[in-house]
Amino acid sequence: MLQRFTKDARAIVEAAVEIARERGASTVEAEHLLLAATRREDPTAIVLRGHGLDFDGLDRALEAESERSLAAVGVSAERPRFTPFPGKPRFATSAKAALEGALRAATERADRHIGSRHVVLGVLRPTRGTVPRALGLAGVDRDELSAAISSAT
Amino acid sequence: MIDLATPADPADGLAAVVALRRLAEQLEAAEVERAMRTGWSWPEVAEALGVTRQAVHKKHAKRLIAAGVELRRR
Repeated sequence: MLQRFTKDARAIVEAAVEIARERGASTVEAEHLLLAATRREDPTAIVLRGHGLDFDGLDRALEAESERSLAAVGVSAERPRFTPFPGKPRFATSAKAALEGALRAATERADRHIGSRHVVLGVLRPTRGTVPRALGLAGVDRDELSAAISSAT
Repeated sequence: MIDLATPADPADGLAAVVALRRLAEQLEAAEVERAMRTGWSWPEVAEALGVTRQAVHKKHAKRLIAAGVELRRR
């Protein structure tokens, strides 16, 4: 599948692995792909930033999602500080699903190559889970964001 | 005692599971590191966590060596 990915899309995937590792996550999740996408300098990243989703904005939304979810069961906690694990984290189901969604997004649009746009569209596809919840808390309309990314040039 | 409230919406409850798993993972990394920095041994940490010495060593040894933590053998 990765052979159809553009250099930009591959760079996002690689950066996501590093972001996950830095944060001490044992696996790469969909939110790490989206965090990586916000750091690019392409039309997709510009649309994300226009929706308040620069790296820090998204990070705050993810933090808020985590706090809110823990609060739902009466837990509050500081973010633990520790030395990250060496070695590369594996891809979790949410990240794999996002990359499959990227492939589907490209197929639907009859695009030959899978670029950063498609990766982000793949991340935005699910209606449940960490990313849609975080976007909801940040007041971002997922469908509108997807449409904006689809039509960005 | 933590009062585990029951969330009204299953979406919140399920998201709490995800967040708690993430928190437990990070807390383990932080607390194992803290214990080893203060001179605990692998067997002591393993016993406290209720896992084998091999399991805790396999998971954390490389990381703590890279972090420059003095590791006790016993």
